[in-house]
Amino acid sequence: MNQAVISCLHANLPAVEAVLKDIELQGITNITCLGDLVGYGPQPNEVIELIRDKEIPTCQGCWDEDVVDGLDACDCSYPSQLAEKRGHFAHQWTTDKLTTENKDYLANLPYSIRKDKCLFVHGSPNSQHEYLLPDMDAFAALERVENARAEILFCGHTHQPYIRELADGSIAVKIKNSVPKDTQEKEIQLPMRRIVNAGSVGEPRHGGTKATYVVHNDVTNEVKIREVEYDIELTCKAIIDAGLPPIFAWRLKNGFEFAEQAEDASHVCER
Amino acid sequence: MIERWALVSGLKGDLDTYELIQKDLKKTPGNITLFVLGDMIGPEKNCNRLLHRLINPKSNDLQPWCIYGWWEEQILLESGYRGDQRAEALRINKGEEVVKSLTNAVDKSFLDWIAALQFGFVELDCGLIHGSSKDVGENLTLDTPPLTLLDRLTRLQVNRLFTARSKQQFHLELTEGIVNSEVEDLNGNRKKEQKVPQKAVIGIGAGKNYTLYDVGTDNTQFVQAGYKTEKRIKGFGRL
Repeated sequence: MNQAVISCLHANLPAVEAVLKDIELQGITNITCLGDLVGYGPQPNEVIELIRDKEIPTCQGCWDEDVVDGLDACDCSYPSQLAEKRGHFAHQWTTDKLTTENKDYLANLPYSIRKDKCLFVHGSPNSQHEYLLPDMDAFAALERVENARAEILFCGHTHQPYIRELADGSIAVKIKNSVPKDTQEKEIQLPMRRIVNAGSVGEPRHGGTKATYVVHNDVTNEVKIREVEYDIELTCKAIIDAGLPPIFAWRLKNGFEFAEQAEDASHVCER
Repeated sequence: MIERWALVSGLKGDLDTYELIQKDLKKTPGNITLFVLGDMIGPEKNCNRLLHRLINPKSNDLQPWCIYGWWEEQILLESGYRGDQRAEALRINKGEEVVKSLTNAVDKSFLDWIAALQFGFVELDCGLIHGSSKDVGENLTLDTPPLTLLDRLTRLQVNRLFTARSKQQFHLELTEGIVNSEVEDLNGNRKKEQKVPQKAVIGIGAGKNYTLYDVGTDNTQFVQAGYKTEKRIKGFGRL
């Protein structure tokens, strides 16, 4: 059976509607959302209410958490002080706009969702703020999946969709200075695991303008990245009308969102 | 001159053991640097004399380089140095009496010094920490999955990780590792084979059990304060 996984909706209603329509056209009814329903975009309440109405199981993203608990990421999350200032402005704007009911909804979202061999998180099993980048250290990536006791880890947060398979791994160990005195050696075989990043519906950072999500077949284990066109002009106009920074609209329209990624995205904010 | 590190932890206020280790190290050949990897304090005995000695070494003492450990974290939590959090894990696991014993064992005048201690040191390509690079309370042992050990090494970007939290003494080498990675994204597919260079995790022990590390030869020697060291370890000879 096919399941769709969406992430990082970022209050972009036209993009969310287009992606849900694309999912519906494929006959898929099993949808999981990896959070970040709000932030940057102009329709936070509308997006939350759409997800709630459709009863889509959703994890809490870093923006969802920050809007409820206050900013807890340090400036390492942004590539520049200007970008940080814009991000903080969007945070405050979103906090002011959200209804109490929708804030409660975000506050009560689970950190992760587990379905059989699949684990769904926003950033990583360790933190909503940790980026699992496609080319990060392969052993560290495998550790994230294995220690979460999953076979497939679905994540978002990077806004870059990818499927990564980690296979044929082993680690050899030698115990020195052991009691008894004999040196002990052994080789441990590592399991095959996959990380699937769903990309972003509302704020893609893959260098293009299309919304992205993934479809996973739990029988064949096949995963496909889907790209969906939506009415970007409509979202851009809503950003300007809402008084959000115009650069948010410019980035969406030109597919320049990737420029907003932190210089060291692998850094995990400890704050 | 041979460069050696003496790695100590879990003194928990025991000045007698610290003095015994200092005495041992004075007889140890080489240029010794003394690292104290946390748990200088604990709830069992008054820790003030040890803390005073660590902060104000005697003229013939080796200068101790200290980091904070799990017990220091608990007293900082309980004393309001970590915001609104309190030492709830300690309270739940050991009870209110132990929390009180801990706060009574350390004079408040030492708290600022404890709060200024670092999480760990990175010396050469070695990480010196109390628990792990993930958490001061994490136990790394011989039974910890190698993938986890490798991750904790990678987080600090070091080749050797010295840890104290488990109280165990061990030297585990990750001699070889390989994993194949295949990434598919909107730009296509790419494959990569990643290998691991030799790395190691070393448990340094606690209390009277401490570790000597020869920086030049990468040899460890597990020592009990006040006893002659074992002969079987290559690289040091008799002490």
